Amino acid sequence: MGFLTPWFLAGVAAVGLPVWLHLLKKHRNVPQPFSSLMFFERRTQSSIKHRRLQYLLLLALRSALFILLALAFADPFIRSDKPQAIHGRKMMVLAIDDSFSMRQGDRLQRAKDEAVAALRGLNSDDRAQVLSFGAQVRMMSDVTNDAAGLRAGIQAIKPTDERGSFAELSRTLRSIAQSAKMPVEAHLFSDMQKSELPSNFADLRLAEGIVLMPHSLARKRDPNFTVENVQVPRHVYGGGKVRVQATIAGFGTERATRRVTLMLNGREVDSKSVEVPPNGRATAEFMNLEPPYGFNKGEVRIDSGDSFPADDTYLYSVDRSDPRNVLFVHNGTDQRALLYFRTALESGNESEFHLDAATTDQTGNIGLSKYAFVVLSDIAAMPGNFENSLREYVRGGGSLLIALGRAAAARTRIPVFDEMIRESRYSGREGERFQTAAWLDTAHPSVGKAGEWEDVKFYQAVKVDPGKSRVAARLSDETPLLLDKQLGEGRVLVFASTFDNISNDFPIHASFVPFVEQTAQYLGRVDNRQANFLVGSYLELRNAKEQGASIEVLDPKGERALSLEEATKAQSIRLASAGYYEVHRPNGRKELVAVNPDRQESDLDIVPQETLTLWENTAHGVGSSGEGGAGDRKPREFWWYVMLAVLAVGIAESLLGNRHLAVEGSDKD
Amino acid sequence: MLQRFLDPRVLASISGLDLVAKTVVDGFVAGLHRSPDFGFSQEFAEYRAYSQGDDLRHVDWNVFARTERCYLKRYRGETNSQLLILLDTSASMGYASQPVTKLDYARFVAASLCYMANGQRDAAGLIIFDEDVKNYVQPSTRQGQLFRLLHAIEKAEVGTHTDFTKPFIHFQNFLHRRGIVVVISDFYEQPEVIIRTVEPLRYHGNEVIMFHILDPQEIAPRFREPLLLEDMETQTKMEVSPEYANHEYRRRIDAHIEALRDQSKRAGMDYFLMDTSRPLDEGLREYLAVRQGRY
Repeated sequence: MGFLTPWFLAGVAAVGLPVWLHLLKKHRNVPQPFSSLMFFERRTQSSIKHRRLQYLLLLALRSALFILLALAFADPFIRSDKPQAIHGRKMMVLAIDDSFSMRQGDRLQRAKDEAVAALRGLNSDDRAQVLSFGAQVRMMSDVTNDAAGLRAGIQAIKPTDERGSFAELSRTLRSIAQSAKMPVEAHLFSDMQKSELPSNFADLRLAEGIVLMPHSLARKRDPNFTVENVQVPRHVYGGGKVRVQATIAGFGTERATRRVTLMLNGREVDSKSVEVPPNGRATAEFMNLEPPYGFNKGEVRIDSGDSFPADDTYLYSVDRSDPRNVLFVHNGTDQRALLYFRTALESGNESEFHLDAATTDQTGNIGLSKYAFVVLSDIAAMPGNFENSLREYVRGGGSLLIALGRAAAARTRIPVFDEMIRESRYSGREGERFQTAAWLDTAHPSVGKAGEWEDVKFYQAVKVDPGKSRVAARLSDETPLLLDKQLGEGRVLVFASTFDNISNDFPIHASFVPFVEQTAQYLGRVDNRQANFLVGSYLELRNAKEQGASIEVLDPKGERALSLEEATKAQSIRLASAGYYEVHRPNGRKELVAVNPDRQESDLDIVPQETLTLWENTAHGVGSSGEGGAGDRKPREFWWYVMLAVLAVGIAESLLGNRHLAVEGSDKD
Repeated sequence: MLQRFLDPRVLASISGLDLVAKTVVDGFVAGLHRSPDFGFSQEFAEYRAYSQGDDLRHVDWNVFARTERCYLKRYRGETNSQLLILLDTSASMGYASQPVTKLDYARFVAASLCYMANGQRDAAGLIIFDEDVKNYVQPSTRQGQLFRLLHAIEKAEVGTHTDFTKPFIHFQNFLHRRGIVVVISDFYEQPEVIIRTVEPLRYHGNEVIMFHILDPQEIAPRFREPLLLEDMETQTKMEVSPEYANHEYRRRIDAHIEALRDQSKRAGMDYFLMDTSRPLDEGLREYLAVRQGRY
C-alpha cells in the first residue's frame, strides 16, 4: 500500500484536537459545594462511566473523522498481487500443468478442481478452452462456452512424465490471443516449478490483452531425494561384471543417509547406503552386475521418504552379447602391427571387438560379412578376388581401415580406396628428421576424443592423393595422415603410416589406444548413443539403408507407438512416457530403450512471486527482458472508499453529538 | 452597616404598597396579615364615616340604631399583633451560585419585614436557628427594637446542618401572643416533616408564612460536565452527571416545591418561593400583592 499525496497525512495531527477536548480537559475532581444532595441519588448516577463511555465513543468518532480525512486526501492506493479479472466479453483459457512434478500428492487433482471452480467466472457471451501442458501444450477441449464440455476436458487430463515448459504455454497463449481477437483471461494451475522457466525470460512474453492469473498449488519448496542418473553401458560384450554408477541427488534437503538398491529384471542385485550432503549429491557404485545375454531391464531405487516417490526409481537397460569380430589382414612377417593393434582394440573389460588375424594368403575363403570391419595392415599385394570381396563388402555397408607402410607404398594405387599413391616419405630417427601430426580434425570420430598427437613422431608416411576423400589429419609437411572416404554404404579409412612402431612411434603413445577404439567404433558403427533417454526426447528409428522398412515400436504399456504409415516412414519417435520402449528393426535387431522423466522435475523449488509478477507484466509491454518490478503494476486507488467511511463516521458523530447537545440545550430552558 | 439590609430602593419599592403607614384598628398593615379578631385594640380613637367597601365588622351598630348612619370605630393603642421571624442559618443557606447567598437574601427579607412591622408599630421579633436556636430577639415595640433586630440579623452566620424538629419545639415557648410567624428557610427536609413541625405554630392562632429561599442553581441546575458535589451540611461527596441534574433532579426539586406548597396550603399556611436571582423588592411585591388580593 502507498499514498499518492503523502503530505496530507500530516493532517492526522489534527486528531489531537478531539483528544484535547475529551481527555485533556479532565473532569473536575475538586468538590464543588452544593447546598444539599438531598435530591441526588448515588445509585442512579453514581457511576458516570457509561456517560464517559459515550464521550469516549464521541472522541473515537471524531478522531476517526480526522484520520480518515487525512487518509482520503493522501490518496491511498494498493498494488494487488492478484491481477484484475477481465470484465466484459473474454476468452478464458484454463491451462493445467500436467508435468511430472504434478504427480506429487494430489496436486493435479487440486489443479483440476480449481479449474472447474474457475469456470464459475464464465459468462454467457464468453468463450473458454482447456489446455494441459508439460513439454508440449495439448488442447483438451474446443473453444466453447459449454461448461459441461469444458469440465469433461478438465477431467480428461492425466498426469504425464514430461518436463513442464512455461515458454511453450506462453507461445500457445500468444497464438490464442491472436486468433481469438478478444481479451484473454489465462488461468494457470501449476505448482509453479522454477525448472519450468525458460533460460531466456523473453520466451515468457505475453501478448497485449492477455491477463495471466496464476493459481499456485505449492506454497513452499518441498525437500526431495531422487535417483538423478545411472551410468551403465548400454551394450556389454562377452562375460564379466558390469560397473553401475548411480547418482543420488537431494533438492532442498538436509544431510541424510539413503539406501540405494540395484535391481535387474525385477530382482535385487545389491544394496548399499550413501550419505547425501545437504542439497547435494552422492554416488553409489555397484561392481557386481552380471546381466544375462540379451536385453535386460534394470532399476536403481532409493528409499527417499519424501512426498514425491515417483522419482525414486531410475530405469536402465543393458544388452549383453558376444564381441564382434574384426579381421586384421597382414603379411606374414609383420607381427608387430598386429600385436599393437590387437592390444589396443581388446584393451578394457568391455571391448566389443575380437580380432581375427589373417595373412593375405589366408583371405581366399574368408566370409567378410561376419566382420564388423577389416584392417589391411601394410599390404603389398592381395588376391584379386579378395579385393573384389572387400569392395563389395564395403559397398554393402562394411568398413575398411588401411594402414600404409613400405610394402603398400610400392603400389601405385590404394586398393578399394582407389586413390593414387604419390610417394613414400622417409625421415631419419635422429635429430629433427621426423614429422608430427600438425593438424587434426577433431570433428572426425577417430580423432575427436584421441587427444593431441604432438609427441608422436612419424618417420615414414605415404603421400596419398586425397581426391574426394575427407582429410582428418595432416603431418607437419601437409602430408595427409588420415583420410576418410564413403564408398557405397560403407567407408574406407586410410592411415598413411603403420601401426608397427617402426614408421612411427604412435603405438607407444597414450593417444594410440583411444584412436584405435574410436576408429573401431566408427568403422564398426557401434551404437554409442546414450544408454538412457529422457521423456520428451527423440529416438532415431532408421538410417539411410532402412528407408521404407517397417519398424515396430512398443511403448511402456506394450502398445504400438507408431501407426502403420509411421512404421514405414517415421525417422524418429518422441519418447513421451517413462518406461521401456522396444524397437524392432527390420534386420531383426531388437532394441530396448529405458526412458526416464527429466530429473529437473524433481527440484520442487517454486518460482518467486516477483518473477510471476514480471511474467504477468509482459502483457503490458514491460518486463520482457526481466526489467521492471512489482512497482509496474497499476496502483488501485481507494480514496473514495475512505470518503464513504468519512461520511458514515460524520453521520454517527453528528447523531451522537446532537444527543449531547440536546442535554445542554435544555439547560437554557 | 445596619442599613445594609435595608436597601432604600427595596424599601421605597415596597413602601408604595400601602402597607407601612397605616396604623389601624386591627393593628396590621393591610395586605400583610389578617387580623385574627376585630375590635382587638382596647383604646377607642375616633369614628370615621363608612365608605363603601369598608369592613362592616367595624361598624358601630349602636350609633346606626340611633342615627341611622354608619360609622366605623377606630382604635388607638399599643401594638396588637406581633411579627416573629424564624430565620434559618443552617449551612445550606450559605450556598450561592451568584454574588448573593441565600442567607444574605433571607436576611434582606427578614430586615425588610422587621422594618415594615416597626413602621406600623407592631412588635417584631427574631429567632435565628439551625439545628438549634442560635439567637432570639423578643418581639417588642420599645425604642431601639429595630436596631436590635437588624443587629441580630447582621450577626447571623452560617451554622451547621438543618434540623426543624428540635428548634421548633422551643419556638412554642417564644410565642406568647398571637401574630404572624414568618419562617425563612430553604426547607431541605421532607415536606411532611416540615409541615408537621411548622404547623403547630398555627394552633395558637398564629398566621404562618413560609418563605422558601432557593438559589437558581438549586431550582434549575446547569451542569455542563460531571461534577463532584459536596453537601455543605453533611460534607457528603457525590459525583453527579449533567444529564441527571438537568432532568431527574429538576423533577425532584419541582416535586418537593409542589409538595410543600400543597401541604402548607392544606395546613392553612402560606407558602412563597423566592428565587435569589430575582430582585428582593420584586419578590416581596409579588407576594404582598397576591396576599392583598386574597384578603
